[in-house]
Amino acid sequence: MGVPSGYASAQVVQAVPTGINSALVLISSTTIGNAVSSVTVSNAFSSTYDNYKILISGGASSALGGLSLQLGATTTGYYWSVPRLVYGGAASNETGANGSSFTSVGGMNADGLGMNVDLIAPFLSKNTFYYSNQVANGTSSVAGGGGGFLNNTTSYTAFTVAPSSGTLTGGTIRVYGYINS
Amino acid sequence: MMATHKVQIDDVVRDATPAEVAQIEARQAEAEAQAEAAEVKAVARQAVLDRLGLTEQEAQLLLGS
Repeated sequence: MGVPSGYASAQVVQAVPTGINSALVLISSTTIGNAVSSVTVSNAFSSTYDNYKILISGGASSALGGLSLQLGATTTGYYWSVPRLVYGGAASNETGANGSSFTSVGGMNADGLGMNVDLIAPFLSKNTFYYSNQVANGTSSVAGGGGGFLNNTTSYTAFTVAPSSGTLTGGTIRVYGYINS
Repeated sequence: MMATHKVQIDDVVRDATPAEVAQIEARQAEAEAQAEAAEVKAVARQAVLDRLGLTEQEAQLLLGS
């Protein structure tokens, strides 16, 4: 079915039929600028939704590496583990305790950025959990499923994405809310 | 001389403040340390496999990863 005239696709998703209480709603879409060292998305989280999905696609980075995720202005208390395997090779796990961000969340190189994260309860005054599969897009890089939590009960409205080295250019950060039901 | 960085807040791109530059560089140093730690572990693992005369595939069969 096509998108009716005058509607964006996200608005079509919002118009779910009565009785269907499960959907993702597009909250924001941010185009990454030229050669930036970090991108902050404000007003991403609110009382409307408990849980969120963040997707990053397109664009490029100036170096091969990973993408980190930070909530609000918090630079401590990030606990995370990413068990990973090198493509065709050995384990290459990463983990952090009381770090300054969730460090290995997405992948990046000159041919594209990729991040797919579910965030649980960033706005609620509870621990925030993240669930993600990190896929690094180098031929000798790694992939693996990871997650972690932020060890505080701060309510967040914003997040920041940053490259492990170098800068980001282009691409889109989309934030979706999971409808509470 | 402090390196220059640009930061983006929603749709606005601007030069990073000195405090933001410090934070960016600390974050990138932490990421680099994480990557180096993983590399050190991988090299140590390979050294053990070499001493045992095992290939990576054989190690995965034995150890599961």
